[in-house]
Parts: sequence; structure tokens; C-alpha cells
Amino acid sequence: MVRWPRDFGLQVRMLGTLFVLGVIYFIFIAVLAYIGVETLLLLAVMLLVLLIQYFFSDRMVLWSMGAREVSEQEEPHLTETLTRLCAIANLPRPRLALVDSAIPNAFATGRNPKNSVIAVTSSLVSTLSQDELEAVLAHELSHVKNRDVMVITFAGFLSTAAYFLFRNWLTYGSGLGSGSGGRRSDKAALLIIIPLLAAVVWLISFLLIKALSRYREFAADRGSAILTGNPSHLASALVKISGEMSGVPTKDLRSVEGMNAFFIIPAISGTSILNLLSTHPTVEQRLAALERIQREMKG
Amino acid sequence: MAWKDALDSLFGKTTLPRATIDNLFSIATASVTMQGAMNLNPSKTAGLCFKPIESSTYDTARTEIEELLELSSRETKTGYRIITDAYRFTWVLLEDPDFDDLVTGIHLVSQTLIERGFGSYLLCAVFRFEHEKPVYWIYNFKQGRYYPFVPLPDQKRDNAAEFRIKSLLEKELPIQKETGLWYPLWGIPV
Repeated sequence: MVRWPRDFGLQVRMLGTLFVLGVIYFIFIAVLAYIGVETLLLLAVMLLVLLIQYFFSDRMVLWSMGAREVSEQEEPHLTETLTRLCAIANLPRPRLALVDSAIPNAFATGRNPKNSVIAVTSSLVSTLSQDELEAVLAHELSHVKNRDVMVITFAGFLSTAAYFLFRNWLTYGSGLGSGSGGRRSDKAALLIIIPLLAAVVWLISFLLIKALSRYREFAADRGSAILTGNPSHLASALVKISGEMSGVPTKDLRSVEGMNAFFIIPAISGTSILNLLSTHPTVEQRLAALERIQREMKG
Repeated sequence: MAWKDALDSLFGKTTLPRATIDNLFSIATASVTMQGAMNLNPSKTAGLCFKPIESSTYDTARTEIEELLELSSRETKTGYRIITDAYRFTWVLLEDPDFDDLVTGIHLVSQTLIERGFGSYLLCAVFRFEHEKPVYWIYNFKQGRYYPFVPLPDQKRDNAAEFRIKSLLEKELPIQKETGLWYPLWGIPV
């Protein structure tokens, strides 16, 4: 009997991140409301942005990545591999898209399992073996199942909200220009406090989103290991992809950096980037986690 | 338990659905109807498809299945083959002119895999019927339901034929209602 280990630590960290994010956002809004900033209009704009992101994310992402949806007839082998994973997990099959690219990578997008697209690059298909390709598809399918686009979009909304308010204040002087009374020193204090607060909120939520994103990656890796029953397949795919990527010139990689949160391995070259700022755990950390899962399976 | 699924998703927890085998046998009686009403005759082969996984307990289970098949093939004269397909899935292929024996054999192997804890990795059981062109009934263990699959050349399927045969057997066969979950299966070795 295979017992799949549960990763409580991961869930606790995820819950913690979400909780802290929520608390910070709440405090921020509460303070703004107390000061009397016109939040209603801002909120409406932010909600609109969120809705657009939510409903059109799949098309926007595919379009910006130059991904082309492919039919079952065009890519029979790839489709069948994904279909079988879906049958094992009893999920509707997401649509498939191809990106013509020399970087082996994959990403998933879409607001819910029924409206999702999994995209793979042409070089991913040509580089990986069947087992590795299946493991990568299982990783992306786990993102779909976990509704990661929704989770990250919502988390992103919180940080965007803070950023919007900050920018708004810079443009309109925090709405204090109307001169509704109050002493000068109060106004001066607010003038400093609001932007400072916005900046701090933005920074913290930004870091928290990166952390959340990394936890979701670990969760998707685990999902892939469970779905395929073979943690080592994803491990070898990760090694292969990261090896290929470091060989590709930096100039090409820059253009896809915005998509990093959705990629299986982000296309940022070099290890100098602080881990704290990364959307993905390092490949070493992911391999170690997969190895742990494998050990637990055997025991 | 929709809320539990939603929570699992939110926290990124993956649990595979369990296999149910209860409805597998219903194909035996449905087969009689198909022969009578549609002139659809069962083929003498059937298959069970599952995903091999990386664990020593799986290796033990696999050996056990081979011994089991060896034993039952002497008793019931059911022939068997174990192959790996292009997607690296394992197929247990059984051959027997008696359809009931075929169903029993598939049931036995799936039961063994489920008992050893590999039910989650059962992809499907496939029964083939024939009248001019092959018609497959695929049993999905996660849904505990059957669905029809009539393949045509070039990865196309004959949906009209599938719906026809579905409406005819609706009463005696537990059929998956949501057609989005009628997963196609190409290159069936049965």
C-alpha cells in the first residue's frame, strides 16, 4: 500500500502567508478609511482590473506568450498523455497550446479547471522523454486543479491595490487638496504617512506573493509526484530544463520574465537573484523536496 | 464533498480519487442486450490499463498479478499478456471466448490492484464489441461508470454511434452522464 505523505508544514506556511496578506490588506484599508481617502472609486477600478484579469487571463497570457492552441489531431501524443493524467485524477481535460520557443518550459493559465489551458514550448516536447513530459504536464495540471491562477491573481490584486493607492496619492495629493479643515500639521503628517504606508504594504505583499508562489510550486511538484506515481520523473525533467536554460543567452530570456509566476522553471538566468524575490524555489530545493517524497513512498 | 475539494485546491493538496469496482460486472448483462438488439458481438479479448509506479510494493503487486494470471489461466483457459504501451502504461490483456470469464478475469486483476493500494493508478478497463467497426466500452474506475468509445481514423470519434449505443443501454449499464469525461483512448491494444 502506498501512503502519500501529507505535507502539513507546506499547508501551514501557505495558510500563514494568506493570513498575513489578508491582515495587512485589511489594516491598510481600515487606516485609509479612517483618514478619509476616497477609496470607493479606487476600489471600483481595482475590482474592474481584477475581473478583467480573472476572466481574460487565459487569452491574455496565451496572446502575450505567442501560444497557439492545438487540436487533438495536431498533437495526438501530447493530448493523449494529458488525457490519461486527467482520467487518473478525474478532471476535465484542459486545452493544449504550443509556444514556438528554444526555451524548454511550460505554463498553465485559466480561471478554473473547465476554462484552462496548458501550454508547452516546442523545445520542451523535443527535449524531454515521455516520462519527463508527462511529469511536467502533471505539474501544470496540479496548478490547474489547485486554481493557482485564481489564488495568485487574487493575491496580486491585494498588492496591486496598495500600489494603485500609492500612485493615486502621488497624482492627486492624497485628496487633501480639497481643504476640509483640520490643522496644517495634521495634513503634513498624513502627506508623509500615506505614501509610506502604501509603499510598505506594497513591498510586504510583494514579498508575500513571491513566497506564496513558491509554496504553490512545491504543492504542484508534489501533485505531479502523486499523479504520475514517480517523483523521479519530474526531478529529471527539472534537471534537464534548468540545464538547457542556463545555456540559452540572457537576452532572449528577458522578454519572458513577466510570465515567471506561471512557468515551471522561471526564465531568469543567474543565481545572484535573492531567493526572497523569486517566484520559484531553486531547482535544488525542489529536487530535495521530490527526493523526500520518494523516500516517504518507499518507507 | 465539494467544499472539501475546494479546500484541498486552495491549499494545494493532491489526493487521487479512489477506485470503485462495483459496477464493473454490469457489462456482462449489457453484452447480452447488445448481441440481441444491435448484433454487436463481444470480442474475445479485453484489457485493463494502469500506471506503473515507483515503489517496491508495486513490484510485489505486479509479481502477484502475474502469478494469479498464471494460475487462473490453467483453470479457466484464459490467455493473458502484459504489455507496456507508447505512453508507458501497463496493459493486462486477457483472451477468452467466454465473455463472462473475461469480465471475471478483469475484475480479479483490478480487485488485486485495489487491495494492494494501487486503485488510484487504474486508468480503465476496456471491452471491445464488434459489428462492422469496433465499439469499445470503457470502464472508468474513478467514476465507477462506463462510457462508449467508437474510434475513427485520424484521432476522430464517431459521436453519433456513441450516443446511439448509449441511449440503447442506458437502463442496464451505469453510464457517465457528463460527456466531457468520456476520455478518448487512442491505440487501444485490445
